[in-house]
Amino acid sequence: MSVSVTLLWWGLAALTVAGAVAVLLVREMMRLMLGLGVFLVGIAGMYAWYGFGLLGVAEVFVYVGGVLVLFLLAITAMGRDSESRAIVRRFDIGAATVSVGLGAVLVLALGGMLPGTSPVAGATVERTADALLGTLLPQFEIAGVVLLVGLVAALAIVGGGEEK
Amino acid sequence: MNTLVLSCALVAAGLYGVLTRRDLVAVLASIEVMLGGASLLLVAYAAPGVATAAAGQGYALLVLAVGAAEAAVGIALLVSLIRRGRTRSEDITEVRG
Repeated sequence: MSVSVTLLWWGLAALTVAGAVAVLLVREMMRLMLGLGVFLVGIAGMYAWYGFGLLGVAEVFVYVGGVLVLFLLAITAMGRDSESRAIVRRFDIGAATVSVGLGAVLVLALGGMLPGTSPVAGATVERTADALLGTLLPQFEIAGVVLLVGLVAALAIVGGGEEK
Repeated sequence: MNTLVLSCALVAAGLYGVLTRRDLVAVLASIEVMLGGASLLLVAYAAPGVATAAAGQGYALLVLAVGAAEAAVGIALLVSLIRRGRTRSEDITEVRG
C-alpha cells in the first residue's frame, strides 16, 4: 500500500476523531452539529477508502443530508438556537471508566478473532443487491419493518401531544 | 488493527457521551457516534473478500436504515419535549404517546 493511501487513511481517521471529540465536548449546539457533520463525512470517507463508494454516498445522503438537517430543525425549534447550550456535566470518572473499559474489552476480544483489513473494489452495486435480495433478505425485511415501526412511533409520539 | 482500535474508541467515546451529556440532542448525537464506529468495523473487516464485501455493504446499509429510524424517533421525542418546554434526557419519562 502506497504512503499516500496510508496517509489518506490517517487523515480520515483524524477527521473522524475530531468530529467525535467535538460531539462529546462542545457546549454550543450549532458547533456540536458541525462536529457531528465532520464525523459523518469522515466515516463516509472511510467507507469510500475501503472501496464501498455506494455506502459512502448513502451515508452522506441519509445522515448528512437527512438526519443532520432534522437535528438542525429540532435545535431551531427550541427557539434559542444562538444561545442554546448543551448541558455538560463535569468530567465523570465513573462514565470514563465504563467507556474505556468497554473499549478495551472490545479490542481484546475482537483483536484475535478478526482477519486483516485492506481496501477492495469487490463490493459492486450488483453484488450488494444480490446479497440484499438473496442471503440477506430476512434482515432486509426486518429493517423495512423497523423503519415502518419507527415512522408510526414518531407519528404517534408527535401526534399524541396535539390532542391534549 | 488500527481500524479496530479506531472503531472501539469511537464506540467508547459515544458511550461516554450518552452517559454524561444530559441534553437530548447531544445524547442522540453520541448514539450516532457509537453507530458510526460499529458500522466502520463491519465495513473494514468485510472488505478483503468479494463475497463478504457484498454482505458487509448490505449489513452496513441496514445499520444505516436502523440509525435513520432511531434518529426519527429521537427527534419526535425531542419535539414532544420541546412542547413541554424541556429538552433534558431525564425528562423523557414524561412523554406519553
